[in-house]
Amino acid sequence: MISFLLMVNKQGQTRLSSYYEWISMAERVALESEIIRKCLSRSELQCSFLEYRGYKVIYRRYASLFFIVGTKPDAGGEENQENELGMLEFIHTLVETMDKWAGSICELDIMYQLEQVHFLLDEMVMNGYIVETNKSNVLRPIDLMERESYKAENMFR
Amino acid sequence: FKMSMKLRDLIRKVRACKTAAEERAVIAKESAMIRTAIREEQEHYRHRNVAKLLFMHMLGYPTHFGQLECLKLIASPHFPEKRIGYLGMMLLLSEQADVLMLATNSLKNDLNAKNKFVAGLALCTIGNLATSDMSRDLAPEVDKHLKAPTPYLRKKACLAMARCLTKCPDMVDDFVDRVVTLLKDKSHGVLITVVQLMTVVLLVDVQNAEEEGIEDITETPCRVAFLRLVPALVKLLRNLLSMGYSPEHEVGGISDPFLQVQILTVLRLLGTNNEEASEEMNDVLAQVATNTETSKNAGNAILYECVQTIMATESEDSLRVLAVNILGRFLLNRDNNIRYVALNTLARCVEEQKHSGGSVLVASGENANSAASALQRHRTTVVDCLKDPDISIRQRALELIYHLVNQENVEDLTAELLNYLVLCPREHRADICARVLRVVDTYSPDDRWRVDTLITMLTIAGRETSTDVQYATIVYISRSSEDIQAYATHKLLKAIRDDDGTQLGLLEVGIWCIGEFGDFLLNPYSYEIPAKLDEPSSTVSFMQLDAATVVDTVEAVTKRHSCPQTVKERSLTCFAKLSDRYADKADPATLSRLHELIKKNQDSHSLELQLRSCEYDALLNAAKGISTPAGGNKDDDIFGVTTEPGVVSAQVISAAKEALARMPVVDLKVLQRKQAAAHFGEIGMGVVPRTNGTANGAAAKGGDLLDLEDIFSSGAPAAAPVVATETQNGSSAPAAQPAKSDVDLLADIFSASALPSQAAAPPTSMGGVDLFAAPALSQPAAPAVINPMDLFGSPPPPALAASVPLSADPFGS
Repeated sequence: MISFLLMVNKQGQTRLSSYYEWISMAERVALESEIIRKCLSRSELQCSFLEYRGYKVIYRRYASLFFIVGTKPDAGGEENQENELGMLEFIHTLVETMDKWAGSICELDIMYQLEQVHFLLDEMVMNGYIVETNKSNVLRPIDLMERESYKAENMFR
Repeated sequence: FKMSMKLRDLIRKVRACKTAAEERAVIAKESAMIRTAIREEQEHYRHRNVAKLLFMHMLGYPTHFGQLECLKLIASPHFPEKRIGYLGMMLLLSEQADVLMLATNSLKNDLNAKNKFVAGLALCTIGNLATSDMSRDLAPEVDKHLKAPTPYLRKKACLAMARCLTKCPDMVDDFVDRVVTLLKDKSHGVLITVVQLMTVVLLVDVQNAEEEGIEDITETPCRVAFLRLVPALVKLLRNLLSMGYSPEHEVGGISDPFLQVQILTVLRLLGTNNEEASEEMNDVLAQVATNTETSKNAGNAILYECVQTIMATESEDSLRVLAVNILGRFLLNRDNNIRYVALNTLARCVEEQKHSGGSVLVASGENANSAASALQRHRTTVVDCLKDPDISIRQRALELIYHLVNQENVEDLTAELLNYLVLCPREHRADICARVLRVVDTYSPDDRWRVDTLITMLTIAGRETSTDVQYATIVYISRSSEDIQAYATHKLLKAIRDDDGTQLGLLEVGIWCIGEFGDFLLNPYSYEIPAKLDEPSSTVSFMQLDAATVVDTVEAVTKRHSCPQTVKERSLTCFAKLSDRYADKADPATLSRLHELIKKNQDSHSLELQLRSCEYDALLNAAKGISTPAGGNKDDDIFGVTTEPGVVSAQVISAAKEALARMPVVDLKVLQRKQAAAHFGEIGMGVVPRTNGTANGAAAKGGDLLDLEDIFSSGAPAAAPVVATETQNGSSAPAAQPAKSDVDLLADIFSASALPSQAAAPPTSMGGVDLFAAPALSQPAAPAVINPMDLFGSPPPPALAASVPLSADPFGS
């Protein structure tokens, strides 16, 4: 299962973090900075997998942003059986979905529409497990919910 | 009434900050505003404030004051507020948060809402956060949604239920049958979530079974039910493979690779140790393995999972061949990720095979289809991976190489390992050295190679090797023939000369050898390396050295600034021994120089150096028949050598000479037993009774006087004090045995742990060392002596009493 999912830029600033396993604030900060440092020190030719403190970490860089996923064994399992190649595919699917949603996603989009990105992510991952990988199945409800929110907000105002 | 900032504005402001301090200030100010707003119960901006809190939380600032706000929001009838409230809960709260319980009611209400998005929000939150109490409470509601009319809710309900079952494992059996219906769902989202639900449930089930002590996990109702589903899963997978182009789910030309991977995972869990299930999935696994496209990452992900499933289940041989071939192909792939994955899987498979098969890998006798033989075939590739620039790959390759070693390839592979040792980072060196030692222990083709490899390893990584390696090297050298001993000593001397003083292990072993076998250095040495396939024969030769050069080398080491205490101590012993070895062979100038070098430390600040210096000086004098200087203090005569002034008896002289003689050969079996005990037994507990037992055993034999079994208490410094207490038998208390007994081999050998403490007392009370008190060793002396010598396995029969204490160096250092 996925323990955490991070989007961190090359300066080490976290643009989005989603934790599926509770870690204290201090540990989170330490973890994020350590991992991004490790990712930054690796070259393009090296493989996308790392080990960090018992987590199997899979990462990929898209333009200025690193998408980092940390996995741990399932509850009750002893060995981390996560398929690293599959997780790479999933990261790619996530990025493609965000791309479709934002019409060419960039770092600024994620920064200024943080809540919406979280909503999108929640449609795809729940509790560290994959919910949906089909882009339209993800984006249609997002769209509908946005419209509903918009209506409600207008009424609210 | 200040206008509160929108989240965007806050983000913009934080972005504009140039320093961390500025950012902290901005956040602190906003934090204060939010807290005021919360206190004043401003409903208007609750939504916005929580959004800002989420942002601040992501940056790492404390936000606990906002938790209750989230709860107020989720109770709101307005959708956007609810939404932000739930998001806030999921990000800001952990399952330990006390306020979480308060949400249960809202969750229940929202679960039953007519609006499917609201229900969806609730399911999502439960799936991410539910505690065990909440799970128990809400499970029936979640269950209803498993049969919801829309797949949107069904898929969320599946994973929410997975969480509930993880938190309340006892509920598993109630929900097993839901799974059956859900597997027939049309929506892929539901399918992928229900398959994951199955995986989670299976793991929980295993855990349950372990806790309840059920031996046979195949009989749990859950597993039985799921096993019946194997055909359905197989059918599902087959449909996916034969599905035509379906734009909805395809990635890179493959239909829903995520679902395929998940199905393969669950099949693996069901097929492990289950013949029947494995048979049912045989065909489809073959289909996946042969038909999946390997050009895209998605295809490789599926193949990877498939290989893992084949290896873990009871699959047919032909299937295993397929899997192994896939792994072989992966190893040759240029993509690093794929090679990493292949190395990983191979290592795991080989590891499992070793455990289940039990026998050590033997390439010839091994089944051609096994991972082990695939491994051998790809040996060169794996070795190449050792030189890969990527560290993850290097480490994986290293693991595999250990599994690869066998009698035939040990020389080549060890050479590769040593090459790697040169480049590898310091932290990993100690581990590699330990492993090379094990390889050397098990597979050495001959003595010379063994000694050679160990010395080379010490030259490369002497600093990082553990004392185990040093001891082992010494033991092997001492057990070898004289020829090899000469070779080793020459080689070590050369290495020490070339070394800059940093390779501690090398210095320790080298100096010991020089002392012990120094006489070999006075002769030249050469041997021929026999011609091999593509190399002509060559000769390795070392020049003879004169005594002075040898002494020079050792002296140079001690003169360095960086020379550690232990090396200096050892070099004193070395000088003492060389005095004996070169007694007839070297020029008097060198001999007196040796004596001077020893005496130099008489005033040393270090107690140990001083001690050795004085004692060796006295010993050398005794060996030469020189009595204490006339007119000198009686106290100078440490060993009571001279009974009449100016005379040293012949017996004393020979005793002294024997003290410096060659060390006897260690019994390897005893050593290994001891090492094994040190590893398994509790320090102190296992050691004491054992030594007593075998001590008596040795006594029975009467031989093995120098049963040096307690000597190599490597890595168990506590064993030394145990040994000391055992032998003390009431004589001076062991005091704090310094861990130096660990490092100082010779201290161990002669279990001087007993003696230094005695020696520390004023020289006159040298009780245990009173050997030289009388010219003839009288019986009364023997018992007094036996205490410290207990280690050597026996109260030796009186006839041997004379030799036991003599051959042992009672000075112990």
